[in-house]
Amino acid sequence: MMRTVSADETAPTTHPWAVHAQELRVRAGRHLAVDGLDLALGTGVHGLLGPNGAGKTTLMRALATVVKPAGGRLTLLGEAVDGRADLRRVRRGLGYLPQQFGFYPRFTVREFVEYMAWLKEMPKSAVPGAVQRAIDRVGLTAKAGARMKTLSGGMLRRAGIAQAIVNDPAVLLLDEPTVGLDPEQRLDFRELLRDLGVDSCVLVSTHLVEDVVVACTDVVLINEGRLVYQGTPDDLMTQGGQGDAGDSPAERGYSALLRRHRAEAGR
Amino acid sequence: MTRILGIELRRSAALGSALALAVAGTLLLFFAEGIGFSTGWMQLAMTQRLYLAVLWPLALAAGAWQARREHRSNVEELFGSTPRPRAHRIVPTVGAMGVAVVGGYLAMGIAGALWIVSTARYFPAAVLAVTAVGVLALVAAVWVGLAVGRLLPSLVTAPALGIAGLALLLLIPAATRPRGWLALVFSPIYEMNMPDAYATVPGRVSAAQAVWLAALAVAAVLLFASGGRRIRVAALLPLVLGAALAVTVMPHQNRFVTDAIDPVARALVCTDDQPRVCVSRVHSGLLAEVTPKAREALTVLTKLPGGPTEVHEDTTAYPDVYPAWREDVALVSVEAGPDGHVLEPSAIPAEVVFGAFASPPGCEKPAGWPERVAAASWLTGREPVADEMSDPAMLDSAVQLWQSLRQLPEAEAQKRVVALRRAALSCSVDEGLLTGNAR
Repeated sequence: MMRTVSADETAPTTHPWAVHAQELRVRAGRHLAVDGLDLALGTGVHGLLGPNGAGKTTLMRALATVVKPAGGRLTLLGEAVDGRADLRRVRRGLGYLPQQFGFYPRFTVREFVEYMAWLKEMPKSAVPGAVQRAIDRVGLTAKAGARMKTLSGGMLRRAGIAQAIVNDPAVLLLDEPTVGLDPEQRLDFRELLRDLGVDSCVLVSTHLVEDVVVACTDVVLINEGRLVYQGTPDDLMTQGGQGDAGDSPAERGYSALLRRHRAEAGR
Repeated sequence: MTRILGIELRRSAALGSALALAVAGTLLLFFAEGIGFSTGWMQLAMTQRLYLAVLWPLALAAGAWQARREHRSNVEELFGSTPRPRAHRIVPTVGAMGVAVVGGYLAMGIAGALWIVSTARYFPAAVLAVTAVGVLALVAAVWVGLAVGRLLPSLVTAPALGIAGLALLLLIPAATRPRGWLALVFSPIYEMNMPDAYATVPGRVSAAQAVWLAALAVAAVLLFASGGRRIRVAALLPLVLGAALAVTVMPHQNRFVTDAIDPVARALVCTDDQPRVCVSRVHSGLLAEVTPKAREALTVLTKLPGGPTEVHEDTTAYPDVYPAWREDVALVSVEAGPDGHVLEPSAIPAEVVFGAFASPPGCEKPAGWPERVAAASWLTGREPVADEMSDPAMLDSAVQLWQSLRQLPEAEAQKRVVALRRAALSCSVDEGLLTGNAR
């Protein structure tokens, strides 16, 4: 499969970080769900961890340019994201699977992914090949002609991932992508993540610490809208001790980091 | 874009809407009030427009239904992260729904066309204008439906909007009375009911309607595409401009816009050979059916010295258009039946002979109906029969007159019949002329 590569695509990146947030503040309703977050993400797979209400989804939404930051600075792919910015260029490089994945139920999987490719303003000639590749990569080849409304929960999640990756995004945002996947599918998904992280910045939000350890190159832990910890999975495992809650070194590390952060905040 | 339009055509409400309009339209065309469009193409185009009374609200509801999809399927979050602006994103949806209603309306037109294609001849350009306005009305309706459905994404929006649209169409004539021309600007169905054979819609009327409907369509698309209040307010501009322009373009005399007549449709088309039989151009497909019956009558009329030698269609049109008066011409009304062929061809000879006893327009002493019928029956040798208009008392008196003529010697009866015709032509019919009791 050959396609024309545009000058845009081969141009060297001039930004050090794909995602760069400084003192970022984002509202969820009236509440400041992200409150002074500093974060820099480059190429690789970043696992976003944090308890419920930590601001994971709000952060994802801000990075997806769906919600405007209330303060601080956010730079995506070298371009500032603020009220006046023209987001079209940045958005062409984004892939996003929202927590609540909305879709047109009467469309087939292929039609919906193609529709999303069109919304992402992909060059016309590249669309059919890219659509097929995205569907193949998530293992939905046999279901490509099925209506979206006939898919099971796990298949829907994979269709959601297919639409997110169809444009080979430089920044891929997946909000709880493993919900509804069976164990075998999760293994395939980890494989896919490692593959995607080779040349793009993937941010995966999840509650499954084990997924992060196995599939991610980097762990990001946030709580109450602030960055608690950023490091490698190996380093995460060294953070916890025998007294911390959890069934694995990574889970104990997660618990220990949160406990320490809460203790500091309480002081 | 074309691939996405194809997807939208298949997966949106477009296909269902097209089918609903085509089926409802065709059923209305053939079964609502019987087949009223068999005369010709203009009658078909106008009858289609009349049934917009149902199709227009349907299109409104279809648009509103389709617009709910986005809200219902919760895609705002995902689509909000994509670069393509909303104004682009709606184009395939707007296009698919537009194509759908156009297709539905044209399918209905084709169903009607198949019915009359073998009998209808005269095809004036105004037919295209009338149809185009009908198409534009549906496109505007489905787009208004999209806009309203987006602003009010509720399950009841579609049915409520449909009912509101129907109510609007029904209220416009009453609200604008006595300015019929004003109703014609805003209602695509006004004045389309039971078109006469020579009916037409003047070009300026169609132009004014098209201006208003196009403005409505533009405003609807702006509303559907808009992200903010400013564009929504801006959508008022085409509405106001369109209404103002349409009102300016529309002729302001009811006389000109309602009961408009197409002189070309009314002009006569005649047989090449003698004796000449002529029908209006709109009925030219029926000439071959009328001619033998008319000539049959002309043969009978040779018994009248100086009797008519030609038969023309009576092209009198409401309210005050009459054919030129000629003594050597017998007039006969020609009407197409539901099948497009002549309604009651067997009645033509009697009517032509009856027409031979007509008086010039403005006559104060014409022959009475019973006298004319009796004289005509004596000539044809057939008993007077009632037509749907005649009242029984008149028929009785016609039958009595006819019988008294028959009891007379042939020569005497002939003399009286000839005298009746002369008196009718000179506008001096005295009572009792046929019975010989002339005062």
